[in-house]
Amino acid sequence: MIEIESRKKAASRTARLDAVFAALADPTRRAIVERLSRSEARVTEIAEPFDMSLNAVSKHIRVLEASGVIERHRQGRDHILSINTHSLDEIDGWILRMRGYWEERLDAMERLLGELKKDHKLRPKDRKHGSR
Amino acid sequence: MAHGETTGPIVQVRRRVRASAEEIFELWTKPDLMARWMSPFPGAVDCKASCDFRPGGTFSLVMSSGESSREVSGTYVQIDRPHKLVFTWMGPLTNHANTLVTLELNPRGDETDLVLTHERLPTPAMLEGHTKGWGHILDHLADAVSRT
Repeated sequence: MIEIESRKKAASRTARLDAVFAALADPTRRAIVERLSRSEARVTEIAEPFDMSLNAVSKHIRVLEASGVIERHRQGRDHILSINTHSLDEIDGWILRMRGYWEERLDAMERLLGELKKDHKLRPKDRKHGSR
Repeated sequence: MAHGETTGPIVQVRRRVRASAEEIFELWTKPDLMARWMSPFPGAVDCKASCDFRPGGTFSLVMSSGESSREVSGTYVQIDRPHKLVFTWMGPLTNHANTLVTLELNPRGDETDLVLTHERLPTPAMLEGHTKGWGHILDHLADAVSRT
């Protein structure tokens, strides 16, 4: 049961990560995120530098919101957008986790190589055994 | 499989190993040897590996302790003994998403330069966008996060 729960959680985390990657796969959306990484901004401020309609920019903003990369809050009549750094932590988290895993595994691999050499168990000339 | 074309984030680890490429290749492809170093739970956990070593063949690594078990599995994509091994990789650490691992072994005298590349495979949604790679955006984002 616990296993199923953790699998479900992992699956939803995967879906979330995929949404973040998809959202950031577009150059306009990356530019919006870079703009917001400097400071929060109104929708109109964000749309200004782009050579496209406010409507088109709004569509990109909605994709970013849906993925959780950016957040929107109201200040009076203005809609203020800001970056949700937590969603980006997840990407960095994946990279850090995998790097840590491989560094540790390669350490273990090197230790095993040392052991095998000591034991003279690893004879490259015998390599045909078990490889096919 | 050129890395320049990938759209997901990439993890790359390089190191120089005091062994021949052939010796290292053995450790990655023989189940009894795989079981001795690939498990992240050394000692305390029973690890069983199996593989059908050919392009398109699958491998699995099952680590069990008591009632719980974890499995890592994948499919061999390219086998170029003893220089290159490419396989897909799926397990708890990848959130059960399919990923691609490329192992490259370049002999340097008695030693070997090992380059391990692990990348998320792009999903259809990601392929719809046009990406130039992740290093750039992640650099910016890391800057942004550290400035706050």
